[in-house]
Amino acid sequence: MLLKDKNIIITGSARGIGKEILEVCAANGANIWACARKPTPEFEENVRALQERYHGEVWPVYFDLTDHEQFKNAAKTITSSKRTVDVLVNNAGVTYNALFLMTPAAKLQEVFEVNFFSPFLFTQYIAKAMMRQKKGSIINISSSAGIDGNAGRFVYGASKAAVICATKAMAAELGEFGVRVNSIAPGITQTSMISSMTEKVIQETISQSDMKRMGTPRDIANAALFLASDMSSYVTGQVIRVDGGL
Amino acid sequence: MLLEGKNAVITGCLKGIGRSTMDLFAQNGANIWACCQYKDAEFEAHTRKLAADNNVWVTPVYFDFLDPEQIKTAAHTIRDSKQRIDILVNIAGMTHDALFHMTTMEQMKKVFEVNFFSQMLLTQYITKSMLKQKSGSVINISSISAIDGNPGQLSYTASKAAIIGATKTLSAELAGSGVRVNALAPGVIKTDMTEKMPAEVMAKFMAESDLKRMGQPAEVAEVILFLASDLSSYITGQVIRVDGGIG
Repeated sequence: MLLKDKNIIITGSARGIGKEILEVCAANGANIWACARKPTPEFEENVRALQERYHGEVWPVYFDLTDHEQFKNAAKTITSSKRTVDVLVNNAGVTYNALFLMTPAAKLQEVFEVNFFSPFLFTQYIAKAMMRQKKGSIINISSSAGIDGNAGRFVYGASKAAVICATKAMAAELGEFGVRVNSIAPGITQTSMISSMTEKVIQETISQSDMKRMGTPRDIANAALFLASDMSSYVTGQVIRVDGGL
Repeated sequence: MLLEGKNAVITGCLKGIGRSTMDLFAQNGANIWACCQYKDAEFEAHTRKLAADNNVWVTPVYFDFLDPEQIKTAAHTIRDSKQRIDILVNIAGMTHDALFHMTTMEQMKKVFEVNFFSQMLLTQYITKSMLKQKSGSVINISSISAIDGNPGQLSYTASKAAIIGATKTLSAELAGSGVRVNALAPGVIKTDMTEKMPAEVMAKFMAESDLKRMGQPAEVAEVILFLASDLSSYITGQVIRVDGGIG
């Protein structure tokens, strides 16, 4: 129970890594604002199941990360709830595979909108509440592609590199207010995101990794648990690769 | 209880980060071979109490890192116990303050002997068991000064940089067989080592850190616990800075 009574915001919690972070945080005693784009029967069922299984609360919050009004309202709903906001996990994101020369301008903007601009505008609202509390932990999900650069992942990698730099700048600015900011850079992870990659690229990446296997959403969620908990009280401004050694 | 039923070898248990790590591991259910340089009555009493309080075993193992024969004997004692060895934490180390031109070769070799060669020798013995089990986690302690450099600490920083290179190569060699290898790079942590630092150097480090404070040995121990536990099951070959955000 590493997160007992902590209140946590998780974006993109309907699927993949975000869904697993939601489960791990709930299992460790947290109360959670589970953010998703829209209500779906599967998501609502999962929220209900988690509330039954674990001690904490799970509050669904719906907003579209491309709609500033929507996430501004969502942030207000959360910060006006009179609860502390202990952790924010910026997990929601999109992938896009295309070579540099084949990436249209509209896609460049769309990917940066969802992976960079919107999460950080949303974070501005939440970070203010954390600074008032004089504590908090912000976890930004980036990618090994944002560090290494991969052919065919030009705009995705660039948007995740922006997340990494933002993480370090935010850590430098918010540290004196007791707010830690770190990033997790997953490698190749078993989610629906990899369905956009060719089997050849997947096998090549696995064979390059020290552990010779793909990551699971649980692997990533456990690293998020560490950064969310007080176990990492002296860790800030870091990018932790959870990639099996690439 | 993140380490229930696991067995760990920890070096440098007498003081500082090693002591905190030993305590935290026991509280999390690990059995421990607690290594330190020499027999000490207070230490022995502490290990007995730690074991009793947490319902684990804590076995003191004594050897001098300047004596390869002693390291070999200690490793054999550990291996002959026929217990699994799940975790190795290489914490023992020494610091040395001298400007580059004032550092004698003799001093430099001694620092590398303790901080690098001896650690690698012990790691060779212990990881052989881990490879047979097809599982294990090795945690090496480097330093942020190995990444950033620090005037007046040539031999120390170079030896800790060697640890980083070894960590990555070991990971590449061992992780395919289930043995993860990672390193920690602590910043300014409140221990005997940093007590010797001049006040102005300390103040400079703290001002540079995002959190504007020193770290506690227990905060470093928590990160070691994370890397030792299955929470870090897909993390290998990494150097994690525990420095409150410096640089």
